[in-house]
Amino acid sequence: MMNISRSVSLISLFLLPLLSFSFSVDNPTDRRVLVLLDDLSLKSSHSIFFNTLKSRGFDLDFKLAEDSKLALQRYGQYLYDGLIIFAPSTERFGGSLDSKSIADFVDSGRDLILSADTSASDLIRGISTECGVDFDEDSSAMVIDHTSFSVSDVDGDHTLIAAEDLVKSDVILGKTKIEAPVLFRGVAHSLNPTNNLVLKVLSASPSAYSANPSSKLLSAPQLTGSAISLVSVMQARNNARVVISGSLQLFSDRLFRSGVQKAGSPNKYEKSGNEQFVTELSKWVFHERGHLKAGNLVHHRVGETDEPAIYRIKDDLEFSVEIFEWSGKSWEPYVANDVQVQFYMMSPYVLKTLSTDKKGLFHTSFKVPDVYGVFQFKVEYEKLGYTTLSLSKQIPVRPYRHNEYERFIPTAYPYYGACFTTMAGFFVFSFVYLYHK
Amino acid sequence: MARSTSKDAQDLFHSLRSAYAATPTNLKLIDLYVCFAVFTALIQVAYMALVGSFPFNSFLSGVLSCIGTAVLAVCLRIQVNKENKEFKDLAPERAFADFVLCNLVLHLVIINFLG
Repeated sequence: MMNISRSVSLISLFLLPLLSFSFSVDNPTDRRVLVLLDDLSLKSSHSIFFNTLKSRGFDLDFKLAEDSKLALQRYGQYLYDGLIIFAPSTERFGGSLDSKSIADFVDSGRDLILSADTSASDLIRGISTECGVDFDEDSSAMVIDHTSFSVSDVDGDHTLIAAEDLVKSDVILGKTKIEAPVLFRGVAHSLNPTNNLVLKVLSASPSAYSANPSSKLLSAPQLTGSAISLVSVMQARNNARVVISGSLQLFSDRLFRSGVQKAGSPNKYEKSGNEQFVTELSKWVFHERGHLKAGNLVHHRVGETDEPAIYRIKDDLEFSVEIFEWSGKSWEPYVANDVQVQFYMMSPYVLKTLSTDKKGLFHTSFKVPDVYGVFQFKVEYEKLGYTTLSLSKQIPVRPYRHNEYERFIPTAYPYYGACFTTMAGFFVFSFVYLYHK
Repeated sequence: MARSTSKDAQDLFHSLRSAYAATPTNLKLIDLYVCFAVFTALIQVAYMALVGSFPFNSFLSGVLSCIGTAVLAVCLRIQVNKENKEFKDLAPERAFADFVLCNLVLHLVIINFLG
């Protein structure tokens, strides 16, 4: 019967030394991010992106991917809270890093930004497959789009595409709409449709396909149209967030600064949507948006304040839970109108939408159903882009005691009346019978 | 033949009425009491047919109190009737005392079963 707050406080007590080094949103002071590059010139060619991260308080540690002293953990404690891998052509990481240690890194709840590019190595492809994203098997293929390319494409092979198909989510991409198209030049990947943890953030237009731009196309390409994802995210069950992009140039200063005009469209934009897209996405991936915390699940009978140990059927009860959202600096009250609570025993007997007082408290009241047994209050909240909330609290429900039934049943009043009338009739009759003349 | 049948029915009815008028008053009182009890029982059965038998124990209790007291009144009538050779030696007071005691037990049980 441990609720979330008790288990969290218990865990934090035992793991306090470990927690103080992790990227727990309760301790956001340590925000160290390891940036793996396969070429140190990326520091300057992608400087705008790195500087925006630094200005938000991240501590970036630039290392070459093949550096032999690379380590994510030391003596069981993680040294970094986030990982950015901009090393698409690295075959083997140096030091103690490999695809398994990166998978463990994500399993520990830490976030990852991974970018592939043309000629992505098997190592990078392997890490992406672990996260549910499958790159095109042809290593020389790039995304080509003959109708949605940018007119500033110098090569003329229509591989610099201007993508506009963004996922509709204010939490992942921010409230401000990204007006300009996002420039992309890289490889395609696809997502398994049965995987419900990954999501396409930037998809290709229906006319895109993945093929080698320099050689003639001999057979129909495997990845085509909107099935091609250009940038995907994955939110793991432990709420670690991973961004996987098919293009390293998406993050570069050159594409940030360049204007964009989609072929065939009259709109010319001075600045591409890349910088806004990448900044908002990095805010989401490092939990500055959309990270929820729920706690203080309280229930009691109407009119009381203490939590009873057992309810009776047809009791009126009130239920409340507090949900907060991390804003990057502090816990703000979460405001939404679709959080629901279930009163559950094998199936939900009661399902109610909680109303909020806009200060983080979600509450409702309902009547316990006419069934007795052991129920659970369950709050299961899985909204796109938000952390999943899963709280439950068990409570038994008993039937009426023998003296809690209604004393007199209204339907039976005629029978009560008839019995007493008969008794009165008997009484009157015996007097009349005895004393008549 | 129809006319004679209806005339027979009328004659029968009249002879019954005049014969009944000759019965003693105390027997007529008992008959009235029995009619009242049975009538109350019939009302309850009609009510149950209307609303259903939800508190069945209450229904049984109500109907049985009426029928039970009617049965006891019929027994009283049999024992008190002077024309009845079988109970010639039984004192009518004894019959009435039995009636009262049985009714007391009956109503005790009924109130308990009424719920």
